[in-house]
Parts: sequence; structure tokens; C-alpha cells
Amino acid sequence: MKAILFYIFSVLILACGIFTVTSRKIYRAAIFLLLTVVSVAALYFLMEYTFLGVVQLVIYAGGIVVLILFAVLLTHDSGSLLPPLGVKRTVATFALTGTGLTVFLYTILGRKVEPGSGEFNEPSVKMIGGQLLDLYNFGFVLPFEAISILLLAAMVGCIVLAMKFSKTMN
Amino acid sequence: MLVLLRYEFILVALIVIFLLAWLIPGKSEDRSLSLFWINVLLFINFLFGFIPVEEGVLFNNMFYTNEAIGVQKMLLNFGALIISLQAYDWLKSNRNAFEFYLLLISTLLGMFFMISARNLLMLYVGLEMATLPLAALAAFETDSKRSAESGIKLILNSVLSSAIFLFGLALLYGETGSLHFSDMAGKLTGNPDGYRDTTLSLLLVFTGFGFKISIVPFHLWTADVYEGAPVSITSYLSVISKSSVVFVFISFLYIALKNMAPLWIPFLMVTSVLTMTLGNIFALRQQNMKRFLAFSSIAQAGYILIGILGASALGMSSVIFFVLIYIFSNLGAFGVVSVISAQTGKENLDDYKGMYHTNPMLSLLLLLSMFSLAGVPPTAGFFGKLFMLMAAAGKGYYILILIAALNMIISLYYYLRIIKSMFMDKSESPIAYFRSSIYSRIALVICFAGIILTGFFSGIFDYFYSISFGI
Repeated sequence: MKAILFYIFSVLILACGIFTVTSRKIYRAAIFLLLTVVSVAALYFLMEYTFLGVVQLVIYAGGIVVLILFAVLLTHDSGSLLPPLGVKRTVATFALTGTGLTVFLYTILGRKVEPGSGEFNEPSVKMIGGQLLDLYNFGFVLPFEAISILLLAAMVGCIVLAMKFSKTMN
Repeated sequence: MLVLLRYEFILVALIVIFLLAWLIPGKSEDRSLSLFWINVLLFINFLFGFIPVEEGVLFNNMFYTNEAIGVQKMLLNFGALIISLQAYDWLKSNRNAFEFYLLLISTLLGMFFMISARNLLMLYVGLEMATLPLAALAAFETDSKRSAESGIKLILNSVLSSAIFLFGLALLYGETGSLHFSDMAGKLTGNPDGYRDTTLSLLLVFTGFGFKISIVPFHLWTADVYEGAPVSITSYLSVISKSSVVFVFISFLYIALKNMAPLWIPFLMVTSVLTMTLGNIFALRQQNMKRFLAFSSIAQAGYILIGILGASALGMSSVIFFVLIYIFSNLGAFGVVSVISAQTGKENLDDYKGMYHTNPMLSLLLLLSMFSLAGVPPTAGFFGKLFMLMAAAGKGYYILILIAALNMIISLYYYLRIIKSMFMDKSESPIAYFRSSIYSRIALVICFAGIILTGFFSGIFDYFYSISFGI
């Protein structure tokens, strides 16, 4: 049962991924991206890693793709077709991605992978939260705080770029 | 903890001050007073660097510091201070000056975390923090289309490179099972088992580093971004941002990959030859000063890679020494371009014709900076390059040194071309005489003194040598 579901979701991921990059309507491309992201979350659930699955749904499907959809809807011309790729670009794209695929397949197939043994115990959300803010015991408090400063800087940067000042305002 | 983290704590304090500065009552359109205090704060921040740093580890190996890292952070602080002084003319009429400094200091903080990282996670977080706010800074002139274009190009390219970098780091983590540099060094011993995967993941990681240092063939974003961004940000990108990634690249290579040297030495050799040569060839035909300095800084990155190839204490100290000289000479050149751009809006080589007759002091400083970048003997730049080539000679890379020497001759041509246009060419309408603000003049005098004096105080290099390490 698990194997069948795994293959169904894998096919979904690949098919939607291909449609995302080949679709000439940008709105459709975004919807296919959403489907891809949701299918990846389904794979996490299948592996019983619910926390990562929820994060994938909330951040990627709920946050990023919705943001992309908003941006698409806000631009005019979002309904029209994107210009078709020329022969030159198609060949170049296939050559590049083909080389990349070959290199990665060569590398991955060259490695002997053995199935893992033992049970996977999912850490509880409480444990993950505790670990994030732990000063000792291999906690991640420093990167956590550093990222908060990064987000602050990103916010200020966005405001500076987006804000329009009138000349008379003090 | 307070002592070990003091560079970072001061910067966080500065960020909070800049964030709250809007709330200070009674502030007018005139920014000169606040800019004065900001520069004083940055100067104090630089002075704190002179307190000796002890070696120490914090947060379960996520943060590491020692004397060499302290010196590297101090150099970056110093460069940021000079850029802040040079930016005065541009910022005094800009109403977003506080935000400018907030973003600038955030990137500096990211660089400090990155340099102190002995852990892949902090390395990545620091690298992101050092680049993302820079994209906002590159697009800082909101009414200029070219500035917006430069910001978009910077963010798209850095996101692409970060994604490649992160993929490489994830593969490395999968292979070694550890995020810490020292544990990784034990696992990455270069045995044929799993060699193939390691090559691929290291290639991806090097691509990420290469983008940030802008070495050929990952340099394509550099010239466009440098040309469109405000001059202060261009000099920040080409000096501070680049140097910080060079520092962390050295620790990554010398600590985490110390057993993989046979793998990365050929990679660095090929890219350094490509970087020097292509950077020089493209620099030959530039007319815009900022584009010209962009390609010149690409070529300089090629020489830095030769220093890294030394893989010894001499190599590391020569790179730190070169960065110090590079701060003086490149910021001197950018400083001149910056004041001329702020005063007249002119950025092309043709505009510089006959400048010696109207602005002799500025021309003289640009002459010295160009000599120092080219490596002409009495200036500090000569010693910087000499030590790096000596480090490479210590490993017997004589062909590489020969190519570097040939490239230095090519580079002399285009550096001299600028000097010729300033001193010998006649022009109908040379740039009129002007006096820049006291801040820019202080910055220019510091660069001037640095270019002349650094080469003659051997104590500086000896000190760098005493705190460096090799493989």
C-alpha cells in the first residue's frame, strides 16, 4: 500500500514539475507548482515525518506559492501566453539540464545505498522547539537568533524600497 | 560570552540604535549631525577591535573565535568605517540614512558570524545575512532605474548561488554526518570510497563560494551590479563582501577540507588562471570607471586565489595582508570615483581627462591607488602581491606564478591608461575644481597614508604571520 502511494505521489511530483516549467500560462504554472509542493508534503507524511510535512504545507504551499499567485494576479497581462521558446533556447536548456542530470545520476548510481535499519522516532514539536532555543545540549539558539536579525534587516530593506516619500513630508 | 562575542554584540547594539533613531525628537531634514554621530559610533566600534581577543568556543562549537578571526573582523570594521566616511556626501541629502546604516551593519554582522563559523549551519546563515540586505542596498536609489536593475540582478544571482551552495552543503552533510568542520575533516579523507559524491558536493560548494568572490566563470553578475549600484555599495561589495568570503573560504579549505587538498588545488589553479586572465582582458576595454574597477577587482580575486593555494601559514597571512592593502588601494580608487560622482555625476574615463590641472590632489591619490593595485614597487600593493607569490612559490607552482606575472604586466597597461588620461591628456572641459566634505577627505587621507606606509612596516606582516595557520 505504502509503495503504491509512494509511486503515485512521485509521478505527481514529476508530472506537475514538468508542467510547471512547460506551461505557457503563468497562472497555471503557479498552480502546478502548488500541486508539486503538496505532493512533496505527502511524501513526508508517508514517511511518518509529520512535522516536516506540516512545515512544507504551511510555508511552501500556504506561504510561498500563495505569494507567487498574488504577485501573478497583481501584474497585468497575467492571462496572456508567455512567448514560446526558440529552437536555440530549447536546445541550450536540454543540453544544460541533460548534463546536470547525467552528472547527478552518475554520482548517485555510483553509491551503494543500503536500506536503513531500526525504527524512526519522530521528535515531538515540543522537543524541536526546546532544541531550537537550547543554550547547551547541542541547541540551535545562535542560528535562531541570527536569523531573527536577518529577518529584521530584510523587513527594513523591503520597507525602504517600497515606501514612497513625498517631498514635503518631514 | 560577552568578551568572546563582543564584536557581534556591538553591532547588534548599533542595529538597535539605528532602528530607534527615528524616534529621537526634534530632528530636521539636515542629516549632518546624525551622520557625524554615526561615524563616531563606527569609529568606536573599530577601536574596540584593538582589545586582544582570546581563543574560545561558544554555543556547542557554533561560534569560534581566536586572534586571527579578531584581526579579520577588525579589518572589515575598518573598511566599513572608511566607506561610511566616503558615503557622507551622498547620504547627507538622503532621508533613508538610518536604514542605510542598519542594512550595512546587518551585513557586517552576517560576515562576522560567517567568519566565526566552524559549522555549516552558521556558515550558511551568515552568508545569507551578508548578502540579502546588500540587494536592498544596491537598489537603494529608489528613483534610479539602473539601481533597481542592479538590486534585482544581485538578488537573483545570489539566490541562485545560495541554492547551489546549500545543495552542496546538504550533500556534504549527508556524506559526513556532521555539520562541524573538524568532524568533517576526519570523514573527508579522500579515500576512493565515496570520492565521486564528494567531488560533486564540493563542486557545488565551490560554485557558491565562487559566486560570492566573483571568480571566473561565476563572475557574470559583477560588472552589471557594480555599475548600477550606488558607489559606496559598489566599493562595499568589491572590498568588504569579497574579503569576508575569502576569509571563510580559507578556514573552510584549511580546516574542513585539509585532507582533500589533491581535489581542490587543481580547481583553484584553473579558476585563478581564468579569473586573472579574463578579468584583465575585460578590464582593458571598459570606459565606465565603476565597470572598470569591477573587472579590476575580478582580476585581483585571481591573485588572492594564488595566495590561498600556498596552503600554509605564509599563504594565509599573505592573503590577510593583501586584503588590508586592497582595502586601502581599492577604497582609495573608489573614494575618488565616489566624490567625483557625488559632485559632478561623471563616471566615464573620458571625463577624467586633464583632471590633474584642476584637481591635483585627487589625481595624485588615484595615481597612487592605481600603482598599488597594479603592484608598482614603492607602494604597498607590490608587497601584498609579492608575499602571495612567495607563498605559492613555497609549494613550487612556478608556472602559475609566471602566468600571474604576465597578467600583472597586462594590468599595468590599463591602470596606466587612466593615469595617462588624467595627467597627459588635454580636455576642453575638465572636471572643475571642487572641495569635498571633511569626511571624504579624512577617508582619502587614510587611504593615502595606508598605501604609502603599509609596505614599509614589516611588523604588520610579521604579526599576521604569527597568528596564521596552514594545513
